[in-house]
Amino acid sequence: MRAVRPGPGLEEGRDQGLDVLLGMVARGDQDAFEAVYDRLAGPVYGLIRRVVKDRAQSEEVTQEALLEVWRNASRFDPARGSAATWVMTIAHRRAVDRVRSAAASAQREQRTAQPLVADDEVAETAAVNLDAERVRRCLDGLTELQRESITLAYYGGYTYPEVAGLLHTALGTVKTRIRDGLIRLRDCMGVS
Amino acid sequence: MRFPRHDLHTLTGVYALDAVDGAERDLFEHHLRRCKPCGNEVRGLSDTATELAMAAALPPPPRVKERVLAATAVTRQLPPVIDHHRPQRALHRVPRPSWTPRLAAAVAVISLAVAVVLGAAGLRTRHELDSARSQDQAIAAVLAAPDARIMSRATTDGGSATVVVSRVEGKIVFTTAGLPRLPASKVYELWLLGPPRIRRAGLLPAPTAGRTAPVLASGLTTGDSVGVTVEPAGGTSQPTTSPIVVMSLQA
Repeated sequence: MRAVRPGPGLEEGRDQGLDVLLGMVARGDQDAFEAVYDRLAGPVYGLIRRVVKDRAQSEEVTQEALLEVWRNASRFDPARGSAATWVMTIAHRRAVDRVRSAAASAQREQRTAQPLVADDEVAETAAVNLDAERVRRCLDGLTELQRESITLAYYGGYTYPEVAGLLHTALGTVKTRIRDGLIRLRDCMGVS
Repeated sequence: MRFPRHDLHTLTGVYALDAVDGAERDLFEHHLRRCKPCGNEVRGLSDTATELAMAAALPPPPRVKERVLAATAVTRQLPPVIDHHRPQRALHRVPRPSWTPRLAAAVAVISLAVAVVLGAAGLRTRHELDSARSQDQAIAAVLAAPDARIMSRATTDGGSATVVVSRVEGKIVFTTAGLPRLPASKVYELWLLGPPRIRRAGLLPAPTAGRTAPVLASGLTTGDSVGVTVEPAGGTSQPTTSPIVVMSLQA
């Protein structure tokens, strides 16, 4: 058996299977799309649930995001980033569009009032999710302000001025803490 | 501009988390196109954000998969982006590649549909052409409005609907992709669903290459949603079937 090595110019550890699959999806291969779905629907839905909270709306946004992956697959350029990041960027953007459209401002009040996601579900999946364990350890290594800012921005879907408001911290401080914190996370998680 | 250059660079983090909006975001994207180190940093930080998503994984209910796979079967994919250094004919112009196409891409899609209608769909007389052109200008005004916002939603029959709304103009531009073709006896009808009453907002034209040409509707009021139903040819004064899509236009 031969191990498949990453090609030149592509970093090790990156899931190139996904890059290849997306290329097939771009050519209309529905089986390839189903394979992409099986690998990424969990993170896509989990991320969207964190941001949107509401279960029915999260399902809807998940459908929109994954359909956008199908429609735009030909626009994915491996030279500009990994397939997983491309998909997650779409998913996060869709989730954020949903909650930031001011229609949601009323629901947003409720959203913040609700407990953060259904905690039971998260705990359940987290137990079997090694990624979650690694990420949690790395998050623990951040300062509280870095961790809170990153979590509110990414999982909360808040803009950084909103994060600054929520944390009663200066705008510039939040901006630099998020960058510093992400750099520490990147180094801790060994993302190239 | 209000944001000095050295400040722009520190936006890599919030940009990777999709936590910067509006003019600042546009400015940073502009900067990003010329700043190679920024691009590399954004890539690394975006991959880090992806790890945060992986850690939040939660299996969606099986119905989500069924719906998504069913939708792909009837949803046309976008063509690849062609080298834009090469001059192309107007109709083949594709939007600039963007990680997640938002308004710019929607404008391109809608503009393309307008071009198709102007160029191809049996506009026989001078008058027809003129009225199509003024419609085109009205649509362009909505798309270019400073407060233009775009929303897309899957329809229950596996297509998708896109609306661009401008409260300043009091108008919407509505277009669809991948809707099933209807028999001649039926038509897709657009509605403005207000809290006080439901108003007709026009009939969707028959799809060309899977898309319906953009429909302009005016007279938007606060609290309106937009919806589409299938109605007998010629349309009706009030919806008689359940909508295939409803989108809130609340801003």
